[in-house]
Amino acid sequence: MDPLILTNVTKTYRLDKVEVPALREVNLRIHPHCFTVLSGSSGSGKTTLLNLVGCIDRPDSGEICVAGEPIGQLSDDALTDFRLRHIGFIFQNFNLLPVLTAYENIEYPLLLTRTRAAARKNRVSELLDAVGLTHHAQHWPGQLSGGQRQRVAIARALATAPALVLADEPTANLDSQTGAAIIALMRTMQRDFQATFVFSSHDPRVLAEADDAVLLQDGRVTSREQRRPQPVTP
Amino acid sequence: MCKRAATLERACRAARHGWREHGRRAAAAAAMALTVTVAVAVANAAETAADVPVDAQQVLAASDAIRNPSRPFALTTTLIEYHKGRETDTSTLQIYAKADGASGQYRNLIRFAAPSRDVNKLMLKNGNDLWFYDPSSQASVRISPRQRLLGQAANGDVVTVNLARDYRAQLVGEEDIDDGDGIPRRCRKLALAAVSPDVTYNHIEIWIDAVNSHPVKAKFYAESGQLLKTAYYRRYQRELDADRPTETVIIDGLDRQWVTIMRYTHYAWRDVPESWLQRDYLPRFKPEE
Amino acid sequence: MTTIALAVRNLLRNRRRSLATVLAMVIGSVSILLFGGYVQNIICGLQTDYVRGGGHLALQHRDYFLYGSGDPTAYGIAGYAHVIDVIRHDPVLAPLLTVATPTLDFGGIAGNFAAGASRTIFASGVVVDDQNAMQRWNDYGFPGAPEVLSLTGTGADAAVIGTGVARVLRLCGPLHVANCPEPTAVPTGSDWQGGSELHGQQLPEDIGRLATRDAPSDDGAVDDTRIELLAATTTGAPNVARLRVTKAVDLGVKEADDNFVGLHLPTAQRLLYGSAIPQVTSISLQLHHTDQIPQARQRLDELLATTLHNVPLAVYDFRALNPYYGQTVGMFTAIFGFIAVLIGAIVLFTVGNTMNAAIVERTVEIGTLRAMGLRRAGIRRLFVWEALLLGAVGALAGMLVALLVAALINHSGLTWTPPGRIDPIHLHVRVWGEWIMLSGTALGLLTVAMLSAWWPARRAARLPVVEALRHV
Repeated sequence: MDPLILTNVTKTYRLDKVEVPALREVNLRIHPHCFTVLSGSSGSGKTTLLNLVGCIDRPDSGEICVAGEPIGQLSDDALTDFRLRHIGFIFQNFNLLPVLTAYENIEYPLLLTRTRAAARKNRVSELLDAVGLTHHAQHWPGQLSGGQRQRVAIARALATAPALVLADEPTANLDSQTGAAIIALMRTMQRDFQATFVFSSHDPRVLAEADDAVLLQDGRVTSREQRRPQPVTP
Repeated sequence: MCKRAATLERACRAARHGWREHGRRAAAAAAMALTVTVAVAVANAAETAADVPVDAQQVLAASDAIRNPSRPFALTTTLIEYHKGRETDTSTLQIYAKADGASGQYRNLIRFAAPSRDVNKLMLKNGNDLWFYDPSSQASVRISPRQRLLGQAANGDVVTVNLARDYRAQLVGEEDIDDGDGIPRRCRKLALAAVSPDVTYNHIEIWIDAVNSHPVKAKFYAESGQLLKTAYYRRYQRELDADRPTETVIIDGLDRQWVTIMRYTHYAWRDVPESWLQRDYLPRFKPEE
Repeated sequence: MTTIALAVRNLLRNRRRSLATVLAMVIGSVSILLFGGYVQNIICGLQTDYVRGGGHLALQHRDYFLYGSGDPTAYGIAGYAHVIDVIRHDPVLAPLLTVATPTLDFGGIAGNFAAGASRTIFASGVVVDDQNAMQRWNDYGFPGAPEVLSLTGTGADAAVIGTGVARVLRLCGPLHVANCPEPTAVPTGSDWQGGSELHGQQLPEDIGRLATRDAPSDDGAVDDTRIELLAATTTGAPNVARLRVTKAVDLGVKEADDNFVGLHLPTAQRLLYGSAIPQVTSISLQLHHTDQIPQARQRLDELLATTLHNVPLAVYDFRALNPYYGQTVGMFTAIFGFIAVLIGAIVLFTVGNTMNAAIVERTVEIGTLRAMGLRRAGIRRLFVWEALLLGAVGALAGMLVALLVAALINHSGLTWTPPGRIDPIHLHVRVWGEWIMLSGTALGLLTVAMLSAWWPARRAARLPVVEALRHV
């Protein structure tokens, strides 16, 4: 089952009196369990697309189906709950809550889903271990390096075992070495936790790692390259 | 403290409005209630009665008859007030007096003739009720007993009394005293106790001439025994078929420096219409002299 | 990580701002509580004065309250001793009662006729022992020894007069009244209006001799403080009481000083009723506690309908008899309410401002939380809790600081003289023990804090996620 299907999606922004079409009748199917990268110059609409896919924005027309669920008719609360369970976010600026420790940041989505304490503990420990930050669990974000923060963010994004993980320029604020490490980590996480990663990125290393590369230009999908065969869904 | 202060608020307001207006000044010079009483008992001419046992009540009645003509009458009173030996005020009043047929109580209509500021003001005294009428404001006001404690209104009650009707007399003895002109007189001294509840003076001592029943001197007391007024009856002259005292000197009991002299002139028998003695008639009253 | 714990951590993020907001709330809370305590003390003091002077309830003739000032003796209570007896032995009223005492109030004229001076006065005949007992009432714990009436221990003919009366009656010297200059024009009786041509003529000598002939023989000794009290009895006749003034008192209110004469009840009764059955104009009842009034009233109404049905009485609360009390309470309550609203508005703006600043700073964070799956309500809850916590800390701290400052003031020895009093009293602020005021202020502060966060929180929750995330 495709985790993400877009049908004739259009989004236009209004800046003062000028209309700026960000996406024009985009049709897209994202394949499960792989790295899909959306690339294009700035203004190509990739961030808009990611926002729509992340259910934090609504299209002007068209349909979006995430994890088999058409999200167009959902209310704000329902949409929010949907995001909680099925979508994870990784941001360019990490966006960790500064008042929570690394452990607590990862734990937070599980609190929102009202997971039991024991189950929470297990999951968080597992994720911390997976991103290699077990010994930094009680550190505040302010005490962590950029790379470490992004690791925490990745762990947080995967906390509720979402079908879809969206990352907007995840390596943009990291140096090349750290960036490479993060990409490798994400690949590992993708495989181990069976998630579908969708990136928007300029970074050529991200592109290099992609299983599926979608090029956007002026709000349309201009090319699509599927480099690797679809892994078999276990 | 606060309770007194608080309840005094009300009293003060009453005090400011009530007392001053109808106190000494206004009711003063006024209330010359020359209530003349008609003795209910027949006025016996005083018999010299060295041998006949003396009936105190009769003696009293006889002295009443001397002060009070037997039929409705009118007279003019000149009233002069002295404080600390100096004259402070004077008024002239026209009095119309008539006894009530049934009760014997005296009613007086008093019209002010002088001084000019008080001309044509009226007072109506009917037993314990005192009404005051001012033609310039056309207001008639009842003056309560509280408001008559001081001033000429208090004096009015001295001459007003129908003693035999209101008091029970007891003979105390015979005394030689100097009368109002300084002449020694042989008098019977009577002690009078009030029988009527409405009288002003609780008890009275009166000295009546043993020979001719002329009242010579009287002392008027309050319930507590405090002397309120002393009166001397002077200048006996033949008026309206009897020798009557044409001058009364009243010395206040509390403030002995306050002396009032009342002189009566122009005695005349007078038909006093009942209508004159009604409070409602006061605004319509017109003097005829 | 509960919402509260999260709120606490967020508040501690910017300690200075949080502290400043709490401080504003503390100052506001302390202001309200201290002012309220000051007002409460005044009201308690006023109430204590009234209750000491006249008790909690008064029984009077039904028509006395409205018409009695014109003619007090006409509206007296005839069988007052029986009424007091019934009340003192009533099983319901007896445990509530401290004192039941009769009073006779009336108007008359006081005169120092030896000096030729007189004045209309308002007199009060009281039972001295009962009045002294009433003065001992102190339910609110005011310091100081209870007042003792100046009539205490005096003879039956003793009287106490106001200083104004003493001045008019020229008794300043023997009574040691201060501020008694010689009046400029000495009137010799009735006013000099002019117009009389016989102005000033001398009294004829023979009459003068009559006047001096019967000089008073009753007392030879000149008593400096003797006065006569003139009043009309119930039948309208004048009666006089000779009284000996033991003291001139200052009552704190000029009208009272100018009018007041206090004497023993039996003396007053003899003056007004003579040998007739004595009456009184009022029966004062003092209870242990002011909040027992409704209970006592109810029982009195029952008694008046049954045992005492043949006596035409009405029962009055001290508040009805002293409208000044209710007016004062009302005025202070209004001022207090105004100040509370004012301070509430300031707190509202302060907390709202803090919340707004926090929200602006955390816009990206809000976006992140929303993206992660926190509902709008969750965002609102987060900020409202932060405000509530600030409010709680502010309220608690405010309460404690107010109690501390009140304690300092109360022990400072500062004094002031309230209107209607002559002596200064200790400045006292009633905060401890005023549980209603304390809890009300705390609750009010919490409510205001919560309200002030509500609008900004709502705004924060409604932020479009994309814009929030994009915020710089």
